[in-house]
Amino acid sequence: MAAAIANPSVSIQDLSLNFGVMSVLKTLNLDVAEGEFIVLLGPSGCGKSTLLNCIAGLLDISEGRIFIKGKNVTWEEPKDRGIGMVFQSYALYPQMTVEKNLSFGLRVAGVPKDEIAKRIARAAEILQIEPLLQRKPSALSGGQRQRVAIGRALVRDVDVFLFDEPLSNLDAKLRSELRVEIKLLHRRLQNTMIYVTHDQIEAMTLADRIAVMKGGVIQQLDAPQTIYNRPVNRFVAGFLGSPAMNFLKGELEAGDVPVFKADGISVPLGRYAFDGDNGRAARPCIFGIRPEHIALGDAAKAMPFTAESTVEIVDPMGSDTLVWTKLGGQIVSFRVEADKMLSNGDAIRIGFDPARASLFDAQSDSRL
Amino acid sequence: MSSLAQPEMSNSERPNQLFRNLNAKVASIPMILTALAVFVGGTAWTVLYSFTNSKLLPRLNFVGVDQYYRLWATPRWLVSIENLLIYGIISLVFSLVIGFVLAALLDQKIRFEDTFRTIFLYPFALSFIVTGLVWQWLLNPDFGIQRVVRDLGWTSFSFDPLYNSSIVIYGISIAALWQGTGLIMCLMLAGLRGIDEDIWKAARVDGIPMWKTYLFIVIPMMRPVFITTLVIIAAGIVKVYDLVVAQTSGGPGIASEVPAKYVYDYMFFAQNLGQGFAASTMMLLSVVIVIVPWAYLEFGGKKRG
Amino acid sequence: MAEIAASVPAQANALRRDAAGPSGTKPRHVLSRRNIFLYGTLIMVALYYLLPLYVMVVTSLKGMPEIRLGNIFSPPLEITFEPWVKAWSQACTGLNCDGLSRGFWNSVRITVPSVLLSIAIASVNGYALANWRFKGADTFFIILIVGAFIPYQVMIYPIVIILREIGIYGTLTGLVIVHSIFGMPILTLLFRNYFTSMPEELFRAARVDGAGFWGIYLRIMLPMSMPIFVVAIILQVTGIWNDFLFGVVYTRPDTYPMTVQLNNIVNSVQGVKEYNVNMAATILTGLVPLIVYFVSGKLFVRGIAAGAVKG
Repeated sequence: MAAAIANPSVSIQDLSLNFGVMSVLKTLNLDVAEGEFIVLLGPSGCGKSTLLNCIAGLLDISEGRIFIKGKNVTWEEPKDRGIGMVFQSYALYPQMTVEKNLSFGLRVAGVPKDEIAKRIARAAEILQIEPLLQRKPSALSGGQRQRVAIGRALVRDVDVFLFDEPLSNLDAKLRSELRVEIKLLHRRLQNTMIYVTHDQIEAMTLADRIAVMKGGVIQQLDAPQTIYNRPVNRFVAGFLGSPAMNFLKGELEAGDVPVFKADGISVPLGRYAFDGDNGRAARPCIFGIRPEHIALGDAAKAMPFTAESTVEIVDPMGSDTLVWTKLGGQIVSFRVEADKMLSNGDAIRIGFDPARASLFDAQSDSRL
Repeated sequence: MSSLAQPEMSNSERPNQLFRNLNAKVASIPMILTALAVFVGGTAWTVLYSFTNSKLLPRLNFVGVDQYYRLWATPRWLVSIENLLIYGIISLVFSLVIGFVLAALLDQKIRFEDTFRTIFLYPFALSFIVTGLVWQWLLNPDFGIQRVVRDLGWTSFSFDPLYNSSIVIYGISIAALWQGTGLIMCLMLAGLRGIDEDIWKAARVDGIPMWKTYLFIVIPMMRPVFITTLVIIAAGIVKVYDLVVAQTSGGPGIASEVPAKYVYDYMFFAQNLGQGFAASTMMLLSVVIVIVPWAYLEFGGKKRG
Repeated sequence: MAEIAASVPAQANALRRDAAGPSGTKPRHVLSRRNIFLYGTLIMVALYYLLPLYVMVVTSLKGMPEIRLGNIFSPPLEITFEPWVKAWSQACTGLNCDGLSRGFWNSVRITVPSVLLSIAIASVNGYALANWRFKGADTFFIILIVGAFIPYQVMIYPIVIILREIGIYGTLTGLVIVHSIFGMPILTLLFRNYFTSMPEELFRAARVDGAGFWGIYLRIMLPMSMPIFVVAIILQVTGIWNDFLFGVVYTRPDTYPMTVQLNNIVNSVQGVKEYNVNMAATILTGLVPLIVYFVSGKLFVRGIAAGAVKG
């Protein structure tokens, strides 16, 4: 975990959640700084949405405590936690106009009318939904609906925004547009935001820090670049990055300069930054290298490690081309520019810098 | 609830489980009372008192299985059981067959489907009392179908099920089928509509005749619908009461008596509560025999998890 | 038959254009053997289903002499509304001779509050079960559903005792409560399934907005569930109007519902049988559910499919 945060906006301490015998969240700890944008990232079923619902107070937890703005809200009602929430399916009340949707929570809380009008006007202005205020949700497009849903959280004038996969129901184009809008919104409001997604691009672009989750446990919590370049285990390494990281099975040979050995290749790891003494003990391990970190031809010659190989398959992807080849007897892919003319069977030279690689213990899958 | 202003630390304690969702619990009191006091309590009470010799008033004077012994020695009860069996078999077989055939006919993308369905189903909107009285009139030997046929010249024609003790239960079954098959048709039609269109396309491409497709492909696929329908029909059979009261009042003699009527008469007229309780417990037992295997098949085999 | 007209030019075209084989729309035979069989069967069955209704109506419009002489299927030679008037306001039920109107108004006074109360209770039950699951709630629900299969005869006497203890045995209030109890399993199931099918996130959004149990029910759920309420009303109006057993057990002769009174009129042994009056009375009793049925159409089908468990 990163260093303790002095005055966390949201603090989750030893949180566990069990459904019967099934443990969904396991003694989870998370501190979110004031104004920070945290993304909870993971495959479906990893507990990320469950965690968000616990923070919102929509699920009763089994163990632990939740603080928001220094106040223990573990057993508070959702409305008393100072949170606003945006849902994947928008969850707009179908029988109410946009304006009534926005004001519902305020009316329930008995906020004076002129104050309601003021807050709606501000939210509508920020989200540019003024012309839609008198429409019913059924008359809105997906993107407009999600804007109204964000507006509903906005008018509550809260400290913490919770987003539960807000863009998953939108098509690719709208998704990237709204992603930018959410980023601008965060910059303008400077609120704490906790954002759940399974989309790594959303996570990489939006987050100050990403919490990668699996099986109810936070695997790694760090800045996006750190998570991308120094994943703590094989799961995180494989989950982030598209196309996915290459993994080569082999042996770590200890020595003054540790070496990774697989069928016919040996990669000197002098430049690789081991965690502590991990380079001193020989063991079976997995060598991970991202496709974009493998160079081809002349560029490969300049790399600390190079090898000869032949092209197996060429996958043109438009902006670039993915080439599949064999290294150490195992399939490896790498990226080249789209104008590189390669075809099956071509002899090539590839190379990479082991400093950019990730090495994992074959047993525990954790980073060496 | 927890929204009350409380000192910071005491709030970290888990609140009393009893008071969480308090409103939901208060709102569920009628349901809880009904489930416990009426359904569980009432059933247990009746079963318990069936072992007593209660007459005009329920008294806890246990006599073992005496009431059951007497029940199975009473001709009227035996007739009731026999009638229920005949009525039950006729209802099951005919309403399933007729209901399915009508549903299959309506499923042929015909015109006026809504009109036909409306006609086949309207009797179901009528009460058993109305049904019973209409069929009492139609089957009246002096004015009804028998008279009409005789007037046509066939003077020896005889069709008087309601006045002939050996076939009276069939007369009642005719009325019951008229009232109830529309419902079965609707359930079957829903089942047929639930079958993937592609199945029909595949069968057509393979050149399988329509009746074979129904018999060997569609009906096996509709197994869940058939089972549900079967349970619905069976539960209705055990309850048959109003129809008999309206159509024959159990007559001629005791020829068309049914268990539900036996229970009612012993509880409220014969002032022999113990007999009524024993008979109703037997009815419960017969439902249990139908429901338990079904519930086992439906829910027992595939436990969640 | 529009199809004949449509298919003829299509066939002609096909012949003209291509002698080698068929082309264009497939020729359709309106009077194919299949259609004759199909529609013939359906029409025969439909006539069978309509026959009792027809006989009821024609009998009720005839005078007694015509009934004694004639055929039950023949239309009335001389239409008379006398039997209807008599059934409504003069027919005798043993004790009094003020006709079915008394039973009609009793049934109205039973049905309206029973429908409202049973739906109010069951919709709140269903909502609590779908959205506010508390420990043990599902157990009660399972008992309720299993209870729907228990023959009424098993529970009627204990309920007599309960109502007598409260002091409402024999009153309309008592019967209204009985209808609410026995309507609860199926209606609760209906509403629970409906509310469960609504997006859960809507409920969560309303909670974040600060609405409580009743606030969400009244302001979010209720306005969204009008169709299911209509289905429930149809189900309950026909079910309660058609009830006989509870009426005869839990009310007294002066508060008997229409079905019980009808049965007493028709099956009373005293006096000369007036079949035309009986049939008029029978139609009058069946009229309310029939109107509900014909007006509601598809919703009725949806209701009974959901309520079929009631048997």
